[in-house]
Amino acid sequence: MVSNLLMATEQMSDTPSALTTPGWPGSQLAADVREIVVEQVAYRELLFRLTYRDLLLRYKQTVMGFGWAIFMPLVNTIIFSVVFMRVAPIDTGGVPYPLYAYSGLLVWNFFAASLRFAVSSLTSNPNLITKIYFPREILPISAVLVTFVDSIIGSVVLAGLMAYYHVGVSPALLLLLPLVVAVLMAFTCAIALALAMANLFYRDVKYLFEILVTFWMFATSVLYPIDLVGGRLGPLLRLNPMVPIIDAFRAVVIRGEAPDAGRLAGAAAISAVALVTAWVAFHRAEFRFAENI
Amino acid sequence: MSGSIVFDGVWKKFRRGEHHDSLRDLLPSLAARAFRRRPPELSDKEFWAVRDVSFEVRPGEALGIIGHNGAGKSTVLKLLTRILRPTRGRCAVRGRVGALIEVAAGFHPDLTGRENIYLQGAIVGMKRAEITSKFDQIVDFAGVGAFIDTPVKRFSSGMNARLGFAIAANLDPDVLIIDEVLSVGDAAFQARCMKRMRELIARGVPLVFVSHNLPAVLELCTNALLLGHGTELFRGNPADIVQQYRRAIWVPPDEAAAETDIRIGDVQMLDAAGAPTELFRTGSRVTIRIGYESARAVERPTFAVDIHNAGGIYCAGFSTGIDGRLFDVPAGRGSVDLTIDAMQLLPGSYSASVGIYRPAGAAYDVRKFAYPFTLTSDRCDLGLISLDHGWRHHIESRPGHQTTVKEVVLS
Repeated sequence: MVSNLLMATEQMSDTPSALTTPGWPGSQLAADVREIVVEQVAYRELLFRLTYRDLLLRYKQTVMGFGWAIFMPLVNTIIFSVVFMRVAPIDTGGVPYPLYAYSGLLVWNFFAASLRFAVSSLTSNPNLITKIYFPREILPISAVLVTFVDSIIGSVVLAGLMAYYHVGVSPALLLLLPLVVAVLMAFTCAIALALAMANLFYRDVKYLFEILVTFWMFATSVLYPIDLVGGRLGPLLRLNPMVPIIDAFRAVVIRGEAPDAGRLAGAAAISAVALVTAWVAFHRAEFRFAENI
Repeated sequence: MSGSIVFDGVWKKFRRGEHHDSLRDLLPSLAARAFRRRPPELSDKEFWAVRDVSFEVRPGEALGIIGHNGAGKSTVLKLLTRILRPTRGRCAVRGRVGALIEVAAGFHPDLTGRENIYLQGAIVGMKRAEITSKFDQIVDFAGVGAFIDTPVKRFSSGMNARLGFAIAANLDPDVLIIDEVLSVGDAAFQARCMKRMRELIARGVPLVFVSHNLPAVLELCTNALLLGHGTELFRGNPADIVQQYRRAIWVPPDEAAAETDIRIGDVQMLDAAGAPTELFRTGSRVTIRIGYESARAVERPTFAVDIHNAGGIYCAGFSTGIDGRLFDVPAGRGSVDLTIDAMQLLPGSYSASVGIYRPAGAAYDVRKFAYPFTLTSDRCDLGLISLDHGWRHHIESRPGHQTTVKEVVLS
C-alpha cells in the first residue's frame, strides 16, 4: 500500500535529472505523464475525500442542500421556454422545447459550474498550497467531480420531463452515454486545469472567464441548434467541442438516435489533446504555485 | 524500506515585495523578457533564502536545524517537503515523507473531528483502510475522544493542533520532517510526542527537526546544523551547535541601557587547572570569574549566578547576598570568582546567568543565559544531579535467639 509513495522524489533545477531523461526526444513528456499517473494513483483517496468534503459541506451549510442542483437549471428552462416558445419560436427538430432546453442546460451547467468552481480552487486553498505537498491538480478535478454529482441529481428532473412528454429511451443507445460523458469530463477537466493554473498566476482570469463563459454558452447548442447560425460564423462555431458533446447527449438520451460519429470523434480528439496538454503544463508549473499564490 | 534525505548544494531564490499577479503585468514582463538578453542572476528585488546548503540524513540519524528567525529554516523544510523546488542544486527525499508541519492545515472548521481525520489523513497520503485501522489510535493519542463527532470549529486551538499532530504522528513514514510542533499541548502530550519520535528514530527513520526548542534538539538529534542568513554556519554534535547558537543569538545590551554604576565585563569559566573552557566533567571544580567595570565605588553589591539546564529548569543559584559575603567595590575594574568545588550536575548542556544587584534587589546589570557550558561524564547517572552516595547491605541472621547483624559496605 505504501509502495505507491515509495517513488524517489528527486527535484532538480536547470539540469535535467538522469531519472527523468533517458535520452530520446519526447521522453520528458513520457516521464511527466508517468509521474502524473503514479501520483494520482497514490493520492486517489485524497481526490475522493476532497470531493466528499465539498458535497458534505454543501449539504450541511445550505438549507436546500442538493436542491440547488435542480432549482437553477429548472428556473432557466422556464425562462427560456417562454422566450423560445412564445416570443421567438424555433425549430428543435421535433423535441419539446423545455426538454431541449433542460437537457442542454444540464450539460452546459455542469461545464460552466465546474469551471467556475475550479477557477478559484487553488487560490481559495492557500493553506494547503503553501503548507502541504500533494498533487495540486486534485483541487480543480475535485471541483469538477463535485459538480458532476450535482448534475446527476439534476438529471432526475430530466427523467421527469421525459416521462411527462412521453419520450422514451433506447437502452442500446444509452450504452453510448458513458462515452459521451467521458468526452465531456475530459474536456471539462482540461479547461478546469488550465483556468485554475492561470488564475493562480493572474488573478483577473476569474473575471475574464465569467465574460467568456457567457459568450461560449450562446456559441453552443444549449438553447437553440447552433446550425441555425448561418453565414461565415456557422462553421467557426462548430469547431467548439461543446457543440458535438451536447448534440451527442441529446441524440443518445432524448432523440434516440446515434450521435454524429465523426463530429463526436473530433471532439474526443480535441478533448484528449487538450487534457494531456493542460495536465502536463499544470504539472510542470506546480512547483511554482506555493511561491506565487 | 527506510528512506534517506540528501540536500546537495541547494540554493533558493525568493522575490521581495509585491508579486505581479494581474494580467496587466503580464505584457510588460513579457516585453522586458524579450528585450533583455539575459536577466541577471539576482535582480535587486530578489534574494537568496538558502545559499549552498548541503547535508545528508541516513537511516537512524536525526538532524537538528537551528538558527535565528529568517535563517532559512522554514525554506529548507519546504524544500524537503517538495512544496518548493530549489533554484539550484539537488534535494532528494526517498520514501514516504511524514511532515509534522502545519499539521492541521487541511482541517475544515465545519467538518467533525472524524471527518477531518479522514480528510487530513488523505492529504498526508494515507489510504482509507490505513486511516480506519489507525483511527482509534489517533483519537486516543490526541485525547479528543468525547468530541470526535463535533465540528472542529468548536475545538480549542490546542485540541485542533493535537488532533493534527496525532494524525501526522501515526502515519508510518520512511522519512520524518518536524517543525516547531512540540510547543503544542500540555506536558503530557509533549512527552507522548517525544516518545513517538524516539520510536520512529529507533526504527531507523531519518529525521530532520527544525526548532527553537534547544532541549528537544539535544534530546532527539544525533547531529545538528546551525543556519544563519541562509548558509551553514556550523555543523557538528548537537551540544556544540546549541552552544554556538546561544553565543550567536546573545545580543550585548546597548550602551545607553547599560548606563549604570557597575557593569558586568568579561565572564570566564575556568576548570580545576584554571584554564578557560566551556566543557567540564561532572564532579570537577568549576570557577566562574565575573569581571566587572564600575564607574564609581559601589557599596555592597550582590553578585549572583544562576544555572539552568537545557530544559530551562533552574538547577542552582548562588549569591553573595545569601551567603553573607558582601563587600564594597571600588571604582575601576576587577573580578569576582565563584568556585563550585564539585559540579554535581549531570551531563548535558547548561547555561549560567550572571547578575549584579543593589542591596535592595534592583539590578545593576544582568546577563541572562549568556554563558553556556557543557558537562560530560563517563557514568550514567539518572536525574538532574549526582548526589554523593553509598550503599550498605544489612544481613540479619538468627541462629537460636540471638540476632547478629552483619554489615557489608558495597563499594
